[in-house]
Amino acid sequence: MKFQIPRIIENEISYFQTVNAKLHKNITDQELLERFYADRDNQWLGILLERYTLLLLGVCMKYLKNEEQARDGVQQIFLKAITELQKYKVEYFKSWIYMVAKNYCLMQLRDKPGKNTIEVRESLPAEATEADKESLLLNEKTYEYMDEALKELNADQQLCVTLFYMEKKSYQQIADQTGYSMMQVKSHIQNGKRNMKILIEKKLSQ
Amino acid sequence: MPDKLKDILANLSTEVDQETLLKYLEGRLSEEQKHEVEKKMLATEFSDDAMEGLQGIKNKSDISSLVEQLNRDLHKKLEKKKQKREKFRIKDQPWLYIAIVIILLLIVISYVVVLRMLQP
Repeated sequence: MKFQIPRIIENEISYFQTVNAKLHKNITDQELLERFYADRDNQWLGILLERYTLLLLGVCMKYLKNEEQARDGVQQIFLKAITELQKYKVEYFKSWIYMVAKNYCLMQLRDKPGKNTIEVRESLPAEATEADKESLLLNEKTYEYMDEALKELNADQQLCVTLFYMEKKSYQQIADQTGYSMMQVKSHIQNGKRNMKILIEKKLSQ
Repeated sequence: MPDKLKDILANLSTEVDQETLLKYLEGRLSEEQKHEVEKKMLATEFSDDAMEGLQGIKNKSDISSLVEQLNRDLHKKLEKKKQKREKFRIKDQPWLYIAIVIILLLIVISYVVVLRMLQP
């Protein structure tokens, strides 16, 4: 007969796990990994992976579009991460776990015929693009060109970017004000942001 | 103004803790706080994908219990792995000792045999 942990004790355990996670809030992902590589105590992996449960659930939901499958997905990604992390050292945990998650989802979609229309984007390590942005921000001319670039965006993008970044409004407020849906607002902001970056880079290289 | 412009290209602090994100999803934040979460979540492809997926979950109030359940499963899995490893360690140690003893015995016996054979 299998021993089942009573529900009340399970709740207590989960409470202590939350407290535990909070205690380690100030430790970076990298430090947690180093601690794990030093003493091979799974406790560190638990704290580390727990930080990403919600984000991983979101990524799985985006690609798989089914709550049940997304939940299974997160479990599979955890399993994969635990095995892989024991085998080799990972440098940038956040971009690594994102890549694991995306690959898992894409594999799932590939296995299902008729559903493989998903766009496969090459995942660059986030650090590289962040460094790119840093150098862009350090360039003083960037600011001069930003105003111009903002004015060159199409009307929708210009409006949403201005309301979001300048007036610090939430998606909901912008949607109420403009009549767009929340998803449209988000995509206008995203595309506007991307176009501005392209415009500024073009101006800087001239 | 320049500071606000800078936000468009900057990745400020990209971290939104799970508790805040849950509150956002459950609609328990002020408009100002919502804006902060949205701005931070736009910063990386990872968080942006996650945000899009999480907004697709119909019953937002279920998310926190779902996360709790997933975390509980994760810890159970890790606990099991740990037990397995410990068992393996205890099991494989006696063999090591037995092997050492056998090798030592063989050396002693062969030494004695060679010594006897050399004696006239």
